[in-house]
Amino acid sequence: MGNKTMTNQNMPPERLLELDDVHVHFPLREGLVKAVNGVSYHVNKGEVLGIVGESGSGKSITARAIMRLLPKRAAAPEGGITFRPRNGETYELSALGRNSRAMRQVRGQHIGMIFQEPMTALSPVHTIGAQIMRTVQLHMGLNRKAARERAIELLAKVQMPRPNQLVDAFPHQLSGGMRQRAMIALAISCNPSLLIADEPTTALDVTTEAQILELLKELQSEMGMAIIFITHNFGVVADIADRVSVMYLGKIVETATVDDIFYAAKHPYTQALLRSIPRLGVDQGRRLPTIPGMVPDPFSVPPGCAFNPRCTHAVAGICDTQVPPEKIFGSQMSRCHFADQFVAAEAAHV
Amino acid sequence: MSELPIPNHASLPDDVLFSVRGLKKYFPIQAGWLKKHVGDVKAIDDVSLDIKKGETLGLVGESGSGKSTVARLMLRAYDLTDGQILFRRSNNEIVDLSKLTDREMRPLRAEMQMIFQDPYSSLNPRMTLLELVGEPMVIHGVGNAGEIKDRVAELLKVVGLRPEFINRYPHAFSGGQRQRIGIARALALNPSFIAADEAVSALDVSVAAQNINLLQDLQEQFGLTYLFITHDLGMVEHIADRVGVMYLGRLMEVAPTELLFSKPLHPYTEALMAAVPQPDPRGNRTRKRVPLKGEIANAANPPSGCSFHPRCPYAQAKCSAEVPALRTVAGGRQVRCHFAEELSLVGAVA
Repeated sequence: MGNKTMTNQNMPPERLLELDDVHVHFPLREGLVKAVNGVSYHVNKGEVLGIVGESGSGKSITARAIMRLLPKRAAAPEGGITFRPRNGETYELSALGRNSRAMRQVRGQHIGMIFQEPMTALSPVHTIGAQIMRTVQLHMGLNRKAARERAIELLAKVQMPRPNQLVDAFPHQLSGGMRQRAMIALAISCNPSLLIADEPTTALDVTTEAQILELLKELQSEMGMAIIFITHNFGVVADIADRVSVMYLGKIVETATVDDIFYAAKHPYTQALLRSIPRLGVDQGRRLPTIPGMVPDPFSVPPGCAFNPRCTHAVAGICDTQVPPEKIFGSQMSRCHFADQFVAAEAAHV
Repeated sequence: MSELPIPNHASLPDDVLFSVRGLKKYFPIQAGWLKKHVGDVKAIDDVSLDIKKGETLGLVGESGSGKSTVARLMLRAYDLTDGQILFRRSNNEIVDLSKLTDREMRPLRAEMQMIFQDPYSSLNPRMTLLELVGEPMVIHGVGNAGEIKDRVAELLKVVGLRPEFINRYPHAFSGGQRQRIGIARALALNPSFIAADEAVSALDVSVAAQNINLLQDLQEQFGLTYLFITHDLGMVEHIADRVGVMYLGRLMEVAPTELLFSKPLHPYTEALMAAVPQPDPRGNRTRKRVPLKGEIANAANPPSGCSFHPRCPYAQAKCSAEVPALRTVAGGRQVRCHFAEELSLVGAVA
């Protein structure tokens, strides 16, 4: 069934997903928007990869490219996306048609996705039970009765109060936190190998956010599922991620373990972002350090390093002309010409 | 404006801009064919607070706690059930807003503005930025078309948007950018008071920092007073002079920011602070974080006694029996807890 190809069978055994130089371009009237411009990353089985970036950095579009759920006006994505879920098959997602049988199978069964706003992601005219039942009937071949039991079991698993009753509730009858729980139940209903979580706690209260993060961590270790956690909140990423990739204007500028990102960042953008967050108990004076300027508009991405016009370390003649290569320091990658000059002591975190 | 009813007992200390006294907002619950009044949702129950000229009062709490409703009542977007809302106009005249009709309110609205939470529903999709940001000036008859256009372009620049976007529609912007359009709109008439309802929650880290700095600069320059509603405790610690903590329509605690964060007096304040994920992975691993159980109670059917007692780890028999009053304790701080003096609570800041 799976569209097997031979191109990437040499993926290391711990590897679940590999993105190789993925490009997603939008040909618009005003020009070409390179929303994702050469992104490579990998996710290992059972790990949490945090993707941080500002809006427009391409973090969600990359996730949609994996799911083949890009808007129709996007040009066909380039680059390789290889996925090897629990069943051991290797899927070349980049080669699958968006509506192909194999892709639909991957989407429903092997990769679950949760979004920021459950109200728009869930169907408003079906009960949450019916939505979960349809998925498990389709992908797990359960009959109605078994599917309903599975739905109740899943709702209990995501710690929904009174699952026996709320299985028949419509999304609008639930609170934001409960809706997010229902969406998580739907996403994990077929025991996926990978969960893509696109800003799942952004719209929630801190207390509910803490509950949802705790729940995701429990489910992740219990089910051995990997998570791609997309967020702009560094606090959340520090709490849940094993490794972190930072995106800027369609490129990954830095990838490292969560500790290296926070205590030994080697890219000026990561450092600047970390400085601009107000932290409890750290007196940063009256003004927050900010990044000068604004994110350039996508039609006129600066040449060389895209961050150079806003970077305090930029060197004329180098940063504004040459695209920085990926510099590797053990498990850390930084796309900065001067990455080797940042030592841990100089990094953003105080 | 002498025709405005000025209650003869209305007086305010010289440094107070807004004073809310015994504010109540009940939404009636009706049942049956005759719409019989069977009860009330006590959305706001007996909230009193003063906001001093030029200060920033932060208001925190979970959704459903009534923090947005307080702001909307103060600006008379809702009609109140009971209470007094005293406002000092720019000419030092003191007005009780609770007594005014919509028509009488109209000229005062130039002096008090609001930045809304949801940038998607608060901007008319069929108006350009020029019309959206210029609308307050048109309504209040400030400036001719050319002046309005210049002012709008300046405001767009001030909030970090390109002035070239002036003829675009909101759909062309991301959520973060739309939020900035809302800020520009609120700033259009140079108000003395701005209620910012989750104004930076939707913004990116670096943009939020820029906007916080912008709001603080404007505050200094024009002596603006802010009511800053947020769930981001890091942000509130940074921007607010004093903080009020709300739960289920009631103020649980009011204190100067530094004291609140170093030594909270209410268990709910402590729980809120514990829930915030910090951008500090090592700290998160060692910090004791017990997520608050359950969800905020239903305001139509609030718990007996202290409304927080079902979720409070320190609750005793007295808590479910007696409603605690908001009382002033040592140090001039206000707290609504029977055992404030006996508990030794942990703040977010050592």
